[in-house]
Amino acid sequence: MAGLAKYVLWVWELSVAAQVVVCALLLVKRNFLRIPLFTAYIFSNIFQAAVLYRIYTRFGSRSWTVTVMAWSSQFVPELLRVLATTEVIRLILRPYRGIWALGWRVLAVAFAAVFSFALIDSWRNLFWAIALADRGFHLAFGIALVACLLLAHYYSIPIQPAYKALLGGLCFYSCTVVMANTIGRVLFLRGAGDFRTGWQLLTMGAFVAVLATWAVALRKPLPQPLQPELLPEAARTYWETSPRINARLRRLNEHLDHFWRPEATQS
Amino acid sequence: MNVTLIAFGAVVVVLLFLLAWALHSNRRHESSITASKALDERGRAHVDSLPQMRQALKPEDDEFLARVGTNGLRSRVHKERRRVALSYLLALRQDFEELMHVARVIAKLSPEVGVAQEFERLRLRANFLWRYRIIWMSLQLGLTPLPQISDLSNLLSGLSVRLEEAMRELGERAALVAELASSPDRRRIHPV
Repeated sequence: MAGLAKYVLWVWELSVAAQVVVCALLLVKRNFLRIPLFTAYIFSNIFQAAVLYRIYTRFGSRSWTVTVMAWSSQFVPELLRVLATTEVIRLILRPYRGIWALGWRVLAVAFAAVFSFALIDSWRNLFWAIALADRGFHLAFGIALVACLLLAHYYSIPIQPAYKALLGGLCFYSCTVVMANTIGRVLFLRGAGDFRTGWQLLTMGAFVAVLATWAVALRKPLPQPLQPELLPEAARTYWETSPRINARLRRLNEHLDHFWRPEATQS
Repeated sequence: MNVTLIAFGAVVVVLLFLLAWALHSNRRHESSITASKALDERGRAHVDSLPQMRQALKPEDDEFLARVGTNGLRSRVHKERRRVALSYLLALRQDFEELMHVARVIAKLSPEVGVAQEFERLRLRANFLWRYRIIWMSLQLGLTPLPQISDLSNLLSGLSVRLEEAMRELGERAALVAELASSPDRRRIHPV
């Protein structure tokens, strides 16, 4: 394939091979039944690799048209990536109905807010619009995912290691893309030579590492997420005690405030 | 170094740190039974030592030492009282964390949760921790005069009693939930 460095091609081939392994594990271990959207996401990546291979062998990899076509092929995997992540988070939080109701809102608001800012920013610079939008997407994705994981941590919701590997891999890859896009742009603006090779190696290398982690996690059938005991009594207790706890906290804060500023107590 | 690079680098480092922290922590799966147990055992321990704490922080001792005029002893007593005040503040923090813990367990077990309630609690918790840190530092640096530590004693004792009352009440409810959850006939009683 014209225009791609030899080692980039090797890493790319390695990445496709790893995707095939992950796909095989999803099918053989019947994990696709539990995470169908995640399976679709991996399939879409393989399909995208095949499309890109066809485009690069036919048109090379240096023209603007090829760049636009390559970026456009990202749309479906990116969409499936969001859906796959939501699917895994839903699997973990869904048994805790109250927390899931909170979780999906956190996910949606965090993603929409950061991505909107990124999109507005990207349209200021049309030459970099796609790369900046891609960086914005991955940043929004990473922030939303971490926010959801912090929510699960805050409520001590157990996450089984296999699901941790899936979510950790998704977030790690997004963080790498954010850094790679930022470094790539800085290098380009400074007139540094072939920044594309470095960018491709960094993002593909990270993806191979993530795929290896997923392959290890998916070598066994995914466990059924833990099912907690939910009772209507807990809802009643929650609605009775929650406002009172908050009122107590408010008073406690006021007391501490007065302690720090004693004159406020006297007035 | 480019400002954008530093800014995005910092965000990514923070994200990766939070990701590792959220995924690495290996808290065990807590049920309402462990929550109510924790309330019974740990919540009571702080309140049991309340009279001794009060005694240790009484201003009369300081007044007596000032009258007698033994400066060395007085400064040592000051230091000790400060240490006691810090331990007391720490106990309040523990009580507070237990209250938060119970609130989280109840929210976790509840089929519905108030989004506004939860976010407000998060905000109040952040406020509490901020104020707590300031008071803690002022006590550590000796910026808070001892009469105020006595005021703190009265304030804390009142708060601890209220907290204990709240926790006992919540503990009873958590135990009730746990009892219902562990009942073999629970499906017949209240199916979800």
